[in-house]
Amino acid sequence: MLILGIDTSTDILGLALMDSGQLKGEYNLSLKRQHSEKLLPLIEEIFELLGVEAGDLDGIAVAVGPGSFTGLRIGITTAKVLGRIFSIPVKGISTLEIMAAGAEGEYILPLLDARRKRVYYSFYQRNGNKDNNFLKEVKKAASAGISELPQILNEYQNQEISIIGEKTAEVRELLVENNFKTRIFEAEKNLPRAAVLARLGGDYICSGQADDIYQLKPAYLKIPQAEINWQQKYGSK
Amino acid sequence: MAANNMGVEKVNYKNKLKDKDEDIYILALESSCDETAASVNKNGLEILSNVVSSQVDLHKKFGGVVPEIASRKHLELLLPVIDQALAEAGIEFKDLDAVASTYGPGLVGGLLVTLTAAKTVSLALNIPLIGVNHIAGHIYANFIANPEIEKPLICLTISGGHTDLLYFEDLRGYQILGRTIDDAAGEAFDKISRFLGLGYPGGPAIEKAALSGNKTAIYFPRADLGDSYDFSFSGLKTAVMNYVNNEEQRGNEIDQNDLAASFQEAVVDSLASNLIKAVQEYKVESVVISGGVAANQRLREVIAERLKEHNLELYYPPLELCTDNAAMIGAVAYYQYLERDFAPLSLSAEPSLKL
Repeated sequence: MLILGIDTSTDILGLALMDSGQLKGEYNLSLKRQHSEKLLPLIEEIFELLGVEAGDLDGIAVAVGPGSFTGLRIGITTAKVLGRIFSIPVKGISTLEIMAAGAEGEYILPLLDARRKRVYYSFYQRNGNKDNNFLKEVKKAASAGISELPQILNEYQNQEISIIGEKTAEVRELLVENNFKTRIFEAEKNLPRAAVLARLGGDYICSGQADDIYQLKPAYLKIPQAEINWQQKYGSK
Repeated sequence: MAANNMGVEKVNYKNKLKDKDEDIYILALESSCDETAASVNKNGLEILSNVVSSQVDLHKKFGGVVPEIASRKHLELLLPVIDQALAEAGIEFKDLDAVASTYGPGLVGGLLVTLTAAKTVSLALNIPLIGVNHIAGHIYANFIANPEIEKPLICLTISGGHTDLLYFEDLRGYQILGRTIDDAAGEAFDKISRFLGLGYPGGPAIEKAALSGNKTAIYFPRADLGDSYDFSFSGLKTAVMNYVNNEEQRGNEIDQNDLAASFQEAVVDSLASNLIKAVQEYKVESVVISGGVAANQRLREVIAERLKEHNLELYYPPLELCTDNAAMIGAVAYYQYLERDFAPLSLSAEPSLKL
């Protein structure tokens, strides 16, 4: 079962091909705002290098954010169209979950910078069960001020928390000050890796949890600013 | 196409590229503003399907297109409009000879949705990708509606994003005679409509108000740019705003309809005068207007009237081809296909692409 993983949610363009649990190849390229120009040429390149054709794919895993809206739409559009043309399953996976699934530890706090001293976070517990490899999302993805995190996580103060992603040093310092036990990761693990995305996608698809490509959309976590302004002025609806 | 020379891509496509005497099927996509659209064209001007999903109602309450809201909607509507376009054409993906998308001008977040989709189709099916200039699309909408149109011709293309006067020797290329040096004509309509509280989109709102107004009630100045064929509307916009502010300060009541009619007349007069000047200098067989503002009835009336003495007929696309659609993108794409003007998968969206 050949799965293509596509991640354009952050500055890193991630692409991976996973064949029945075997990683065939992976790109994690810090390209910032070049996802539109680079994504399709890189897919073509990874196919060519690995002797694969688009029609060989059995499924697609795509990162759905949180992240850059424009970046997310590029990856998700590509996944939708490939899914539609080849009638193959597509699974959208949270960028936070991709990071958490690549980290070790029982309790995992993946973070993405939401600017102005805020982060997008979620909180996962690793399931010890061998038959169920998926992480349990203990706290749903949301944005919060960095200073609010000790309060949000207070019931886990006695557990070791793995912090992964962006703003990790700052968050770790704050949690340690508040008597939390934490760990952080080396650079090569501290990112949403495309290989993890493709592996997770394969697992989800195998367990029958693909998405409806017509409904698939980014995890925006924020309504458009124009809508917020309008609601402030006129009330909702 | 002269203005869109991306160079021929060095790719071995699935099938041998076809020539003019073979049937060529192109899937075309468009999402540059607030319509999500897909169509299948056969040999350029034969439209097998033309699906447009408009979001105009979604943006009305904001008084203009909100780019982020538009982009979100394009992503939602993408597959449904493609499915419908293929189904209505009775075509499957495997039958396509090429795929095209608008790559500018427009809102970058929106453009990227169908541009990315078209790139993916190109990669998946191993067929050429064609990047189309949206403004060229509006012009070619005329050739879909009037295939018998005689060349050479003069074309005035006017919308919310551009105002261009062009000379066409034939359908493969054009020469730009003049363009706006500041606001586009449609932009002026939108800004004045919003200023007067008449709503969005501004063109139809102003036109509707003008129907009940006196177009000679107020004289607004027309920009004089000397010998050039260029246009300017920002001075007119300022004149309207100053007029309203002055009248309000004097405590005079303003007749919105007279104001709308007088403003519209000034825009129409500027557009028509430059067009007629070009018609007099270039010996043409036809005159064409295109773009969203070409839907304005008063503009059509004035130009048609002034063309009478030159024995020239005015062509404009039917209303359904005046607003953004993908059939017009497919028509341009066909001529680019014949010229082997294909784009690489690295093609970027160009929000301020010019002709």
